[in-house]
Amino acid sequence: MSADVHAAWFSALGEPLGPAEEADIAAYLAALGFTPRLPTLVVASWPQAAGLARQPAERWWSAEEAERARLERAVRLDPADREWLALADALHGAAAVAAARSGCADQGLIRAAAGAATYAAHQYRLARGAGAGADHPFVRKYALFAGGRWPLGVYGERFAIF
Amino acid sequence: MSAYPPVKTVEEFFKQPAEYQEAVRKIVRSHALNELYGAQVFDEPAIALAPTPYAKWLTCRVAMEEYHHHVRFKELADQIGVKPEAMDTRNKRPLNIFEFPLKTWEEFCVIKMLGDLAEILQVEDLLHCSFVPLRNIARTTMPEEKFHAQFGADFCVDLVEAPETRARVQDAINRFYPEAPKFFGASGSKNNELYRKYGIKLRKNEEMRADFIARAQDIVGKLELKLPEIAAAA
Repeated sequence: MSADVHAAWFSALGEPLGPAEEADIAAYLAALGFTPRLPTLVVASWPQAAGLARQPAERWWSAEEAERARLERAVRLDPADREWLALADALHGAAAVAAARSGCADQGLIRAAAGAATYAAHQYRLARGAGAGADHPFVRKYALFAGGRWPLGVYGERFAIF
Repeated sequence: MSAYPPVKTVEEFFKQPAEYQEAVRKIVRSHALNELYGAQVFDEPAIALAPTPYAKWLTCRVAMEEYHHHVRFKELADQIGVKPEAMDTRNKRPLNIFEFPLKTWEEFCVIKMLGDLAEILQVEDLLHCSFVPLRNIARTTMPEEKFHAQFGADFCVDLVEAPETRARVQDAINRFYPEAPKFFGASGSKNNELYRKYGIKLRKNEEMRADFIARAQDIVGKLELKLPEIAAAA
């Protein structure tokens, strides 16, 4: 867990995608049942990210939740574990720093970003706890977060990532 | 401000009268369990009820903060000798407000707006607590508690714009609020008398309840909604 604290959280927001990130996105979408060729929108700013995330994205969220529920039948995690809470706080700190660098002071949006990364870390720990490999969608999504991105999900017929 | 001299460390705590120690243990245990119950029965389930990814992620972060509050109080409970079995939620019936059957997003927003307001008042009363480690936890958690209550109020502002969701918010207030004043305990409480004697808390239960009702009326009034009539407080 300590290595996770020092990942590049929220450090590449708005940057052009690299080939490895495009591969992670395609594998993530395919594993969740979406077409891997779904157009990708690279979000450019915190306000744009907020505007998108305030729209419903039920099909995508439900696909993730179905997988989470399946994993939780085999793996239980303690939400009050101290190391886990330390990671959650580190994610909040990283989101706050990244937002401040961009002139964003929206405490709700910063917390939402931290919550998104925390949820992704939870999903990742479930997947790893269940013995899932590198191609599992939660492992792919976590790699995007740990590399400094904020995957925002599928809105309409586009996958959005900050 | 407390007339009782500040108890700055856990070591000093164990030199205080047994009555003081027991009073502090009761309060720390109560806060630790309330934070845990709140996270388990309201915050975590609400992630599924939230209508958008933004609301879901924000709720997720709020849940983590509540779990962290629980851990802070529990660590102090461990240090001051609260028995582990006393910290097990299976051994203590939750406060009445945690038995509210959460089913909708509107209910959750009302719970944050009014339930966390009640928690703010409880934490406020510890900001000048004679037991400094407890005072420090109260001061650390207070900004997040305020954010949580504001989170509920802000979402309620959005929800009352449409007639259908406005009616649901009013309905949630009607069903959640009547139990909330009981969160402050009985009037004339002997425990509360001890808390004040030792400078652990500042106000009587009935004073806090009256303050809560006034603040709740103000918040709900700004939404142009109404608090339901409730029976005279205990």
